[in-house]
Amino acid sequence: MNPFAYIHGSSLLHGLDPRCKFFILCLVSITMLSAGPVPSAIFAGILIFFFKNTGLALLPFLRALRYFMIILFLVFAARALAVPGDIIFSFHGISATKQGIAQGIMVAFRFFLIMVTGAIFTATTKPGSVKAAVQWFLKPIPFIPEKRLGVMISLALGFMPVIFRQAGEISDAGKARCGDLEKNPIKKINRIAMPLLRKTFMSADNLVLAMQARCYDEDRTDPEFNPCGAEIYFIAGAVATALCFTMF
Amino acid sequence: MQDRIIEIDNICHTFADGYRGLNNISLDIKKGEFIILAGRNGSGKTTLLRHLNGLLQPCSGSILVDGKKLATNLVFARKTIGMVFQDADTQIVGDTVFDETAFGLENLKFPRSQITMKVSLILEKLDLLHLKDRHPSSLSGGEKRRLAIAGVLVMDPQVIVFDEPFSNLDYPGICQVLSTISGLNQSGHTIIIAAHDVEIAVSLATRMIIMEKGRIVADGHPEDIVPVLESYGVKEPCCSKFGLGLRPWAS
Repeated sequence: MNPFAYIHGSSLLHGLDPRCKFFILCLVSITMLSAGPVPSAIFAGILIFFFKNTGLALLPFLRALRYFMIILFLVFAARALAVPGDIIFSFHGISATKQGIAQGIMVAFRFFLIMVTGAIFTATTKPGSVKAAVQWFLKPIPFIPEKRLGVMISLALGFMPVIFRQAGEISDAGKARCGDLEKNPIKKINRIAMPLLRKTFMSADNLVLAMQARCYDEDRTDPEFNPCGAEIYFIAGAVATALCFTMF
Repeated sequence: MQDRIIEIDNICHTFADGYRGLNNISLDIKKGEFIILAGRNGSGKTTLLRHLNGLLQPCSGSILVDGKKLATNLVFARKTIGMVFQDADTQIVGDTVFDETAFGLENLKFPRSQITMKVSLILEKLDLLHLKDRHPSSLSGGEKRRLAIAGVLVMDPQVIVFDEPFSNLDYPGICQVLSTISGLNQSGHTIIIAAHDVEIAVSLATRMIIMEKGRIVADGHPEDIVPVLESYGVKEPCCSKFGLGLRPWAS
């Protein structure tokens, strides 16, 4: 399972205008950084509801996020070891503090919630709609080529599953020749990274040719938005959530 | 003169590394023809096809598409000559079957209402309408290839160029694509297929061109060309080998 891929569906979030979802994602992600434990826990409950509502499976999703968990652990460890306070244990001059661990858990939890919010957004919004929303928000800003940026974002999102699939194929090809006997993680990554880069660039070249062959031009027909009517309630909810995050 | 849709006059192409991809190619293609462009791997088939769509420019010589110079009328040429790539996966840009088919029309700035109408018509024609909300990557090989055809066909081209259209397809997939290509030719489209295995489409072809080392080494009716195919590294169809003439590949 790719945690950041669009999943076709007909849930409430699927039907929501992409501009509304994009606004909510930005607002919640920014204000979440200053949220306290109680609002964060309540928001986690809301996310679980929408997670189920969109038809995403929790366990495969968490399994797919395992590499991101390493990053979260590093964030936690950095906080736990860097924040001064009551020392819980000390090893060779490096000390973990009670306050550091509490802050580390909180920061990692906030980042995790932002990740899940992002995953729900990408699972319920087609890359083309993300492109359309970004384009719409950037349109009033002068000197910014909003159409080019929109296409870049949409292609990057569209390419992610391709890159994941290619990485899986390269890894399987290595395993088929006993590549998994190599225990050095740096060598293992190197064996996957170089062929993956080569394949990704080749696929990107082919995609460019295919786009040119169908008269690709930045000045294209504008995307169409079909609001479902529930957007106003979602925006009001998001603003209230953002206020809770900043106040409590 | 009027029935010529493509006129290629003495084109050459040299790649950046100095490799000569095409050598003095001259060729006229008439409206409604069904051409198989055969040759071993690296003979220059794909390079030639990419010149027809303006994806590559010749170092010398010229190409006319429906009487207009290709180099100065790129959009016209790309509307007139649609290209279906060998790997359908790399051709797919859209998030759904519908969006993928609409890509070309959006580039041509068609109004949204017209896009919806034209895309629905083409998807229905190619029996893909029931899949319109599916992600292209979830389709079968044959469906993906037909989607690639739909993405080109919606732009209303007169000529459709296929680069190895049957590669990596199972038997039902090949039958679906073959039937689609045959139907397109019957409805008046000029078809050019590049292939290193000619067996599948040879009975439909009205002309066969063989390339070797960037040159055209044989050009004529398939019945006349087939006996010499193997001397150019292309397998002779079984039916011809056994003296049965050129028979349809699928029942």
